[in-house]
Amino acid sequence: MSAEEPSAIRAVALAKTFTGADATVEAVRGVDLDVRRGEIFGFLGPNGAGKSTTVRMLTTLTTITSGSASVAGVDVAADPDGVRHRIGVALQEAGLDPRQTGRELLVLQARLFGMSSPEAAVRAQELLELVELTDAAHRRIKGYSGGMKRRLDLASALVHQPDVLFLDEPTTGLDPASRLTVWDEVRRVNANGTTVFLTTQYLEEADQLCDRIAIIDAGIIVREGTPWALKKELRQRRTLAEDPTLDDVFMDATGRRERVAGEVKEVHA
Amino acid sequence: MSMPSVVLGQRAVRETLRTPDSLVPTLFIPLFFLVVNVGQAARIFPGDDTEFLFGQSYAAFQLPVSLLLAASFGSAALYLVEEIEGGYFDKLRATPISRMSIVMGRLYAEFAKTMVLSAAMIVIAFLFDVHMASGVAGFLVLVLMISLWAVVFSGFLQIIAMKTRSAAATQAGSLIFFPLLFLTPNFVPRPLLTRPMEIAATLNPVTYIMEAARALILEGFQWGEIARGYLVVGLAMALMLTLSVRVVSRYD
Repeated sequence: MSAEEPSAIRAVALAKTFTGADATVEAVRGVDLDVRRGEIFGFLGPNGAGKSTTVRMLTTLTTITSGSASVAGVDVAADPDGVRHRIGVALQEAGLDPRQTGRELLVLQARLFGMSSPEAAVRAQELLELVELTDAAHRRIKGYSGGMKRRLDLASALVHQPDVLFLDEPTTGLDPASRLTVWDEVRRVNANGTTVFLTTQYLEEADQLCDRIAIIDAGIIVREGTPWALKKELRQRRTLAEDPTLDDVFMDATGRRERVAGEVKEVHA
Repeated sequence: MSMPSVVLGQRAVRETLRTPDSLVPTLFIPLFFLVVNVGQAARIFPGDDTEFLFGQSYAAFQLPVSLLLAASFGSAALYLVEEIEGGYFDKLRATPISRMSIVMGRLYAEFAKTMVLSAAMIVIAFLFDVHMASGVAGFLVLVLMISLWAVVFSGFLQIIAMKTRSAAATQAGSLIFFPLLFLTPNFVPRPLLTRPMEIAATLNPVTYIMEAARALILEGFQWGEIARGYLVVGLAMALMLTLSVRVVSRYD
């Protein structure tokens, strides 16, 4: 990578420890990441592996215990506001205000990013058209379906045309048709030059969408590369007779299952 | 007032208007208490024969209690904790605005709501033969003081919401209004209370807001009492804002 083109996301020994009254949990234990500008980067891992905590640190929502991170060339700890100007965030819960209409939510989001009222109205209309919610724009969000909420959440993350878009499990709980719609939106956003950092539990989703992936388990990165390279590495290492899937790579990386000659058997609880 | 606070305040006002069911108890429970308390004690304290009523009805003496009760029915903290649980609070925290703006937006709306509701309650109280001894100016000073107190009370509940992230804990925290409101000279002036009750009322900051409100309604511009009322509101506001800044900036 050239010096003129810094990484979209860079993390060095990133760690997060939660200290409670009766326990200390090391949620993330020294993660190194280097996400290139313009790529779709998949961040995979089992439940509780540290995916969301990593995203929350990179998006300034959670403080960093140790290590460092920069997003769009801006240091997360030193200039969190600078990072917030450059990122879009759609979190796991599709956090939306149910009492507002879709249009009001987008206008508000645009105003919070410094747009004037007329600019915000224009941008909201553009985004409603982009995510095909124009007909529902006047309705309150509490009446939206799960898929509509995800699309609106995605639209609100794009309101200021961010350099880097963080999507934390954007298709969890969606039906297959809605999932495909979100995939299309992600591809379209990425085609316009936005770097996408995507966490998902759906390996097919990562295989379809991502240029590169990292697998995190118990707070550390256990695999990183293109889906193709990771599958090839597993096939060669295990001398498998057929091409493994990304599921196999995931199971192998997280030590939960071992695939042998086409069969999958449990090796750990 | 920062622009983000204003647009977030406008959103909170819209939210209030869209949930009129949340306004009903704020208006009617205090009015209910006014009617019941006056019904129980008005004959004990006749207006023309009770020194501390200054010629007005007992309803005038009770009105500040109802206004302060209305001020403690703010919905800001409950909506905030709902947003924390639903994830929208994080969405707002990921925008490049001062985190205090998120807190202040709802408090501006609480201020506006209480201005309207307390003004309405005072106008309704006129039907009970209450009048403002301090006139229109006193009416405005009274509404302003009650509305600022509503902001303080809601602000402290928002702090509980951010610290606990729990709707149940936030609702439980709102029960503080019981001792704050009832360990006061709410039925008779302080000198007529029993000694232990008088000590409790003297230590309770709400007493001084209540006495300032009573002065405006019953006596006119008694500057000493009004100043004490506003001083209590001002000090509580400063404490609330200081704690809010601390809690929202450390929210992780």
